[in-house]
Amino acid sequence: MSIKLEQLCKTYNVDTDFPVHAVNHLDLEIKQGEFVAVMGPSGSGKTTLLNMLGGIDTPTSGKVLIDDNNILELHDKQLIAFRRDNIGFIFQDYSLLPVLTALENVEFVMQLQGHSEEECRKRATDLLIRVGLAEHLHKRPAKLSGGQQQRVAVARALAPSPKFVMADEPTANLDAKSTAELLDIMQQLNEQEGTTFIFSTHDPRVISRAKRVIVFEDGLKKEDTIQAESP
Amino acid sequence: MLVKLAWRNLWRQKRRTILTASALALALILSLVMRCIQEGSYSANIENIARLSTGLIQLQHPEFKDSQSIDDLLSADPEFIDFARELSTVETILPRIESFALAASGDKSKGILVFGIDPLPEDIYSSLSKKVISGSYFSERQNKGDKPQVLIAEGLARQLGLQPGDELVLYGQGYRGQTAAGLFTIQGILHFPMPQLNNQLVYMSLQSAQYLYSTGDLVTSWVLHTDSLADVEQAASALKQYYQQGVNVRDWLDLSPDLAQQILMDRTSGLILMYLLYGIVGFGLFATLLMMTLERQREFAVMLATGLLRSKLLKLICIESAFIGLLGIIIGLLIAFPILIWLLFNPITLTGETAQLMLEMGYDPIIPVLLDPQLFINQIVVVLGLLVLCLIYPLLRLYKIDLVSALKGGAHAA
Ligand SMILES: Nc1ncnc2c1ncn2[C@@H]1O[C@H](COP(=O)(O)OP(=O)(O)OP(=O)(O)O)[C@@H](O)[C@H]1O
Ligand SMILES: [Mg+2]
Repeated sequence: MSIKLEQLCKTYNVDTDFPVHAVNHLDLEIKQGEFVAVMGPSGSGKTTLLNMLGGIDTPTSGKVLIDDNNILELHDKQLIAFRRDNIGFIFQDYSLLPVLTALENVEFVMQLQGHSEEECRKRATDLLIRVGLAEHLHKRPAKLSGGQQQRVAVARALAPSPKFVMADEPTANLDAKSTAELLDIMQQLNEQEGTTFIFSTHDPRVISRAKRVIVFEDGLKKEDTIQAESP
Repeated sequence: MLVKLAWRNLWRQKRRTILTASALALALILSLVMRCIQEGSYSANIENIARLSTGLIQLQHPEFKDSQSIDDLLSADPEFIDFARELSTVETILPRIESFALAASGDKSKGILVFGIDPLPEDIYSSLSKKVISGSYFSERQNKGDKPQVLIAEGLARQLGLQPGDELVLYGQGYRGQTAAGLFTIQGILHFPMPQLNNQLVYMSLQSAQYLYSTGDLVTSWVLHTDSLADVEQAASALKQYYQQGVNVRDWLDLSPDLAQQILMDRTSGLILMYLLYGIVGFGLFATLLMMTLERQREFAVMLATGLLRSKLLKLICIESAFIGLLGIIIGLLIAFPILIWLLFNPITLTGETAQLMLEMGYDPIIPVLLDPQLFINQIVVVLGLLVLCLIYPLLRLYKIDLVSALKGGAHAA
């Protein structure tokens, strides 16, 4: 499975004298199993790009092809189902449901897929153990640190076994240690399960761990480099 | 899971939830108690007036309502009334003759209303004997050759200068144009609080009236009373079905249109008050529901992004709102019910003129409450209706929520 962008544009204020090209005629292909960092200055269009990759935002023009199917042609309901089954999201501010425990947060998205309760319980527990939260299964987000919350968010993003995970500045609110831990986990999952990670970041520590780095500026791809495996 | 989520979400803003539910509960308690008292006092009024004069249902000749003529009569045969007797909800059945006459004593005369009644059962039904202020009620046995007895109203007695033991002449028109005339002995004087009754009523036994008006074995009306007010409708329609065109079945609404009108107006003003109250509480509810949806735009966007269908999201909000509504209803009923039960056994006692008036009529001067399940159901329906009304706009906004801007965290993303 791969994501291919063809001549993708997102323009704000189209009808005014000062249109903003958040993403400007972008061609890009990301294959399954990649570990991609999108970097660039603030306002360069990273969030907009990730949202369009994940089918949350609609482009002004161009195509988002997943295995040669244009997801822009899906109906609202199909799109939600597509997102639910194929794409996981991790947000800068974790965005867990505050009234659910860590375990329930992860179970919830699986239940949306229609898995049985035992299945959900089992996979959610496994995932949370894998992200190192075995002791915090039944805590609500407010009782967890930022790093722990973001790990729950990773588990939640992975629970429906998505092909792609979009992470918009996942480490922006985390300290160095939590960032390193989180990256370890994501890298592990990437290597073991072949889950594709695409994240935007300003963080050099994150960039140094990425296998592929796309530098983005003013909606344009400035650089696209494959990095050597870090030891 | 949605239900669990909704229930927990409810307690994120504990104070707001409780406050909103309490406002709903308060409106429900006030409206329910008010309505139960209102309907209770209407029932008592209807019951009182029925017993005082009209009964809850009357059977009359089809023409009698308009003609009020002594020519338009019904049979007094037991067979004729058997069907009504058989109805399980009909508790009292009384034959009556109601007509007009001219009362004369010495050189004074006055138009009066004659009630020919069956003394014993009528007394049981309306406590007529309690209204006797001088003289006595109809005596059970009368010697042959005695003049027939009448009870006359106090005002009339005063105008004609009569006392118990005096004689009274009645003239009128009898059945089929015959002359009605008779000489009567005044057995007792009755007091009625209402002037129109107090100035013109004359009671006599049914036989005396039938003799006076030469009606033979006929009556002007059969007066019926049901076990409860709620039974009237069914009994009346059963009677209509049975007697068809031959008999005009009139319920209390038809017999006392003024009372019916008065109750309707009072009830309407009560309902307006009630809806006003709910309207005010509705604003609070609306604000809560709107806040509940607006302040969580980002959270909703995340849920939508992670695969929750919009319809499920709307369902979540509906469940949360329903919880608030149910909470309000439960709190309201839990408080209102003991109050109403207490009022049922310790009804509000009236004082002053109204109380005096009611005492004179032979009724307890109290405002009873009516515990009709329908009144409870109505309140619950109103609360639920209010909830639905308040939900429309928040749900609409939620339905149109824009994922991208909601994800950016704007509270005004919708
Ligand atoms: N709703 C909008 N209306 C108008 N312009 C917008 C809107 N959303 C984004 N933009 C513009 O699009 C451009 C790209 O925004 P985007 O949020 O994708 O940047 P970013 O790279 O994620 O920035 P950051 O690193 O600060 O998160 C910016 O110039 C921004 O001003
Ligand atoms: Mg951004």
